[in-house]
Amino acid sequence: MDLTQVLQSIDLFEGLAADEIEKVARICSEKQFSKGQIITKEGERGDELFIITEGFVEVLLGEKPTSAALIVVSLGSGQVTGEMALIDQGPRSATLKAISDPTVLQVIQRHHFEQLCQENTHIGYIVMRNLAADLSFKLRHRNLNQR
Amino acid sequence: MAIYKVSYVIIDKDNPGTILNQNHAPLEGEIVQLGDDIFEIVEVLELVPPRGEFHYIHVTCKAIKNFKR
Repeated sequence: MDLTQVLQSIDLFEGLAADEIEKVARICSEKQFSKGQIITKEGERGDELFIITEGFVEVLLGEKPTSAALIVVSLGSGQVTGEMALIDQGPRSATLKAISDPTVLQVIQRHHFEQLCQENTHIGYIVMRNLAADLSFKLRHRNLNQR
Repeated sequence: MAIYKVSYVIIDKDNPGTILNQNHAPLEGEIVQLGDDIFEIVEVLELVPPRGEFHYIHVTCKAIKNFKR
Protein backbone atom coordinates (compact mmCIF):
# COMPACT_ATOMS: atom_id res chain seq x y z
CA MET A 1 0.00 0.00 0.00
CA ASP A 2 1.49 3.38 -0.94
CA LEU A 3 1.53 6.36 1.40
CA THR A 4 -1.46 8.13 -0.18
CA GLN A 5 -3.58 4.99 0.35
CA VAL A 6 -2.38 4.81 3.96
CA LEU A 7 -3.27 8.48 4.53
CA GLN A 8 -6.74 7.93 3.00
CA SER A 9 -7.43 5.38 5.75
CA ILE A 10 -6.72 7.95 8.48
CA ASP A 11 -9.60 10.16 9.60
CA LEU A 12 -7.33 13.18 10.05
CA PHE A 13 -7.49 13.47 6.25
CA GLU A 14 -11.18 12.61 5.79
CA GLY A 15 -12.70 15.12 3.36
CA LEU A 16 -9.51 15.80 1.37
CA ALA A 17 -9.41 15.17 -2.39
CA ALA A 18 -6.85 12.74 -3.82
CA ASP A 19 -4.57 15.55 -5.04
CA GLU A 20 -4.70 17.19 -1.59
CA ILE A 21 -3.72 13.92 0.09
CA GLU A 22 -0.76 13.71 -2.31
CA LYS A 23 0.34 17.15 -1.10
CA VAL A 24 0.14 15.93 2.51
CA ALA A 25 2.12 12.80 1.59
CA ARG A 26 4.94 15.01 0.26
CA ILE A 27 5.51 16.55 3.72
CA CYS A 28 5.48 13.20 5.57
CA SER A 29 8.60 11.29 6.50
CA GLU A 30 8.64 7.77 7.94
CA LYS A 31 10.30 6.88 11.24
CA GLN A 32 10.58 3.42 12.80
CA PHE A 33 10.93 2.67 16.49
CA SER A 34 11.64 -0.49 18.44
CA LYS A 35 9.66 -1.74 21.43
CA GLY A 36 10.47 0.37 24.49
CA GLN A 37 11.98 3.26 22.54
CA ILE A 38 10.94 6.78 23.62
CA ILE A 39 9.47 8.89 20.79
CA THR A 40 8.99 12.16 22.69
CA LYS A 41 9.42 13.17 26.33
CA GLU A 42 6.93 15.10 28.45
CA GLY A 43 8.03 18.72 28.89
CA GLU A 44 10.29 18.83 25.85
CA ARG A 45 9.77 21.20 22.95
CA GLY A 46 7.85 19.56 20.12
CA ASP A 47 7.62 20.48 16.45
CA GLU A 48 6.25 17.25 15.01
CA LEU A 49 2.91 15.56 14.50
CA PHE A 50 2.94 11.75 14.46
CA ILE A 51 0.62 9.42 12.58
CA ILE A 52 0.82 5.78 13.68
CA THR A 53 0.73 3.50 10.66
CA GLU A 54 1.89 0.27 12.34
CA GLY A 55 2.16 -0.91 15.93
CA PHE A 56 1.22 0.75 19.21
CA VAL A 57 2.33 3.82 21.14
CA GLU A 58 1.80 4.30 24.86
CA VAL A 59 0.99 7.78 26.18
CA LEU A 60 2.60 8.30 29.62
CA LEU A 61 2.27 11.06 32.20
CA GLY A 62 4.47 12.06 35.12
CA GLU A 63 7.44 9.75 34.53
CA LYS A 64 10.02 10.30 37.29
CA PRO A 65 13.12 8.39 38.35
CA THR A 66 11.42 7.63 41.68
CA SER A 67 7.96 6.60 40.46
CA ALA A 68 6.29 4.84 37.57
CA ALA A 69 4.47 6.88 34.97
CA LEU A 70 0.70 6.83 34.58
CA ILE A 71 -0.31 5.19 31.30
CA VAL A 72 -3.06 7.38 29.84
CA VAL A 73 -3.91 5.41 26.72
CA SER A 74 -2.43 3.11 24.14
CA LEU A 75 -2.77 4.29 20.52
CA GLY A 76 -2.79 1.95 17.55
CA SER A 77 -2.79 2.16 13.78
CA GLY A 78 -4.46 5.21 12.25
CA GLN A 79 -4.13 7.39 15.34
CA VAL A 80 -2.57 10.83 15.49
CA THR A 81 -0.41 11.99 18.37
CA GLY A 82 1.82 14.94 19.17
CA GLU A 83 -0.90 17.27 17.90
CA MET A 84 -1.16 19.39 21.07
CA ALA A 85 2.38 20.74 20.82
CA LEU A 86 1.83 21.28 17.11
CA ILE A 87 -1.30 23.36 17.66
CA ASP A 88 -0.54 25.33 20.82
CA GLN A 89 3.28 25.34 20.50
CA GLY A 90 3.57 24.38 24.18
CA PRO A 91 5.87 21.68 25.54
CA ARG A 92 5.02 18.01 25.02
CA SER A 93 2.11 17.18 27.34
CA ALA A 94 3.09 13.52 27.66
CA THR A 95 5.81 11.00 26.93
CA LEU A 96 5.27 8.71 23.94
CA LYS A 97 6.77 5.22 24.00
CA ALA A 98 6.75 2.59 21.26
CA ILE A 99 5.36 -0.66 22.68
CA SER A 100 5.48 -2.88 19.61
CA ASP A 101 8.23 -4.03 17.32
CA PRO A 102 8.32 -2.30 14.92
CA THR A 103 6.30 0.84 15.53
CA VAL A 104 6.06 2.86 12.32
CA LEU A 105 5.12 6.54 12.28
CA GLN A 106 4.62 9.15 9.60
CA VAL A 107 6.04 12.43 10.87
CA ILE A 108 4.95 15.94 9.81
CA GLN A 109 7.07 18.95 10.82
CA ARG A 110 5.14 21.97 12.11
CA HIS A 111 6.59 24.44 9.61
CA HIS A 112 5.73 22.14 6.68
CA PHE A 113 2.22 21.65 8.08
CA GLU A 114 1.61 25.37 8.60
CA GLN A 115 2.99 26.22 5.17
CA LEU A 116 0.68 23.67 3.52
CA CYS A 117 -2.36 24.96 5.47
CA GLN A 118 -1.60 28.56 4.44
CA GLU A 119 -1.03 27.65 0.78
CA ASN A 120 -4.23 25.60 0.60
CA THR A 121 -6.87 26.85 3.03
CA HIS A 122 -9.21 23.94 2.18
CA ILE A 123 -6.57 21.48 3.43
CA GLY A 124 -6.02 23.73 6.44
CA TYR A 125 -9.73 23.86 7.30
CA ILE A 126 -10.33 20.12 6.86
CA VAL A 127 -7.25 18.99 8.77
CA MET A 128 -7.86 21.46 11.63
CA ARG A 129 -11.52 20.34 11.84
CA ASN A 130 -10.45 16.71 11.93
CA LEU A 131 -7.75 17.42 14.53
CA ALA A 132 -10.41 19.02 16.75
CA ALA A 133 -12.67 15.98 16.26
CA ASP A 134 -9.75 13.68 17.12
CA LEU A 135 -9.02 15.57 20.34
CA SER A 136 -12.74 15.36 21.18
CA PHE A 137 -12.73 11.59 20.56
CA LYS A 138 -9.73 11.14 22.86
CA LEU A 139 -11.47 13.20 25.56
CA ARG A 140 -14.61 11.06 25.22
CA HIS A 141 -12.45 7.93 25.52
CA ARG A 142 -10.85 9.28 28.69
CA ASN A 143 -14.24 10.25 30.16
CA LEU A 144 -15.64 6.77 29.46
CA ASN A 145 -12.53 5.18 30.93
CA GLN A 146 -13.13 7.03 34.21
CA ARG A 147 -16.82 6.06 34.56
CA MET B 1 -14.52 0.81 2.56
CA ALA B 2 -15.71 1.55 6.08
CA ILE B 3 -13.10 2.22 8.74
CA TYR B 4 -13.94 1.92 12.43
CA LYS B 5 -12.13 4.16 14.91
CA VAL B 6 -12.64 2.27 18.14
CA SER B 7 -12.16 3.41 21.73
CA TYR B 8 -11.59 0.26 23.83
CA VAL B 9 -12.20 0.68 27.56
CA ILE B 10 -11.38 -2.22 29.89
CA ILE B 11 -13.43 -2.92 33.01
CA ASP B 12 -12.15 -4.60 36.17
CA LYS B 13 -8.56 -4.04 35.16
CA ASP B 14 -5.96 -1.36 35.68
CA ASN B 15 -5.72 -0.67 31.97
CA PRO B 16 -6.01 2.73 30.25
CA GLY B 17 -7.61 1.27 27.15
CA THR B 18 -6.71 1.61 23.51
CA ILE B 19 -7.79 3.65 20.50
CA LEU B 20 -7.20 2.17 17.07
CA ASN B 21 -8.59 2.02 13.55
CA GLN B 22 -9.86 -1.30 12.24
CA ASN B 23 -11.63 -2.44 9.09
CA HIS B 24 -14.47 -4.36 10.72
CA ALA B 25 -17.19 -3.39 13.17
CA PRO B 26 -16.63 -4.69 16.71
CA LEU B 27 -19.35 -7.03 18.01
CA GLU B 28 -20.57 -7.93 21.48
CA GLY B 29 -19.10 -11.29 22.50
CA GLU B 30 -16.14 -10.92 20.16
CA ILE B 31 -12.73 -11.90 21.55
CA VAL B 32 -10.03 -9.31 20.90
CA GLN B 33 -6.33 -9.07 21.62
CA LEU B 34 -4.99 -5.68 22.72
CA GLY B 35 -1.27 -5.83 23.31
CA ASP B 36 -0.48 -9.01 25.20
CA ASP B 37 -3.92 -9.38 26.78
CA ILE B 38 -7.13 -11.04 25.57
CA PHE B 39 -10.54 -9.45 26.17
CA GLU B 40 -14.21 -10.12 25.50
CA ILE B 41 -16.35 -7.26 24.16
CA VAL B 42 -19.36 -6.69 26.42
CA GLU B 43 -20.75 -3.41 25.04
CA VAL B 44 -20.60 -1.60 21.70
CA LEU B 45 -22.03 1.84 21.05
CA GLU B 46 -21.70 4.51 18.39
CA LEU B 47 -19.90 7.36 20.12
CA VAL B 48 -20.54 10.08 17.51
CA PRO B 49 -22.19 10.00 14.06
CA PRO B 50 -20.09 8.65 11.16
CA ARG B 51 -18.19 11.09 8.96
CA GLY B 52 -17.52 9.90 5.42
CA GLU B 53 -16.29 6.31 5.61
CA PHE B 54 -15.27 6.64 9.25
CA HIS B 55 -17.35 5.25 12.12
CA TYR B 56 -16.64 6.29 15.71
CA ILE B 57 -17.27 3.45 18.14
CA HIS B 58 -16.91 2.92 21.86
CA VAL B 59 -16.33 -0.61 23.13
CA THR B 60 -16.26 -1.89 26.70
CA CYS B 61 -14.29 -5.10 27.30
CA LYS B 62 -13.60 -7.43 30.16
CA ALA B 63 -10.39 -9.34 30.62
CA ILE B 64 -10.45 -13.10 30.06
CA LYS B 65 -8.32 -15.09 32.42
CA ASN B 66 -6.50 -18.19 31.16
CA PHE B 67 -7.80 -17.74 27.60
CA LYS B 68 -6.72 -20.45 25.14
CA ARG B 69 -7.28 -20.23 21.37
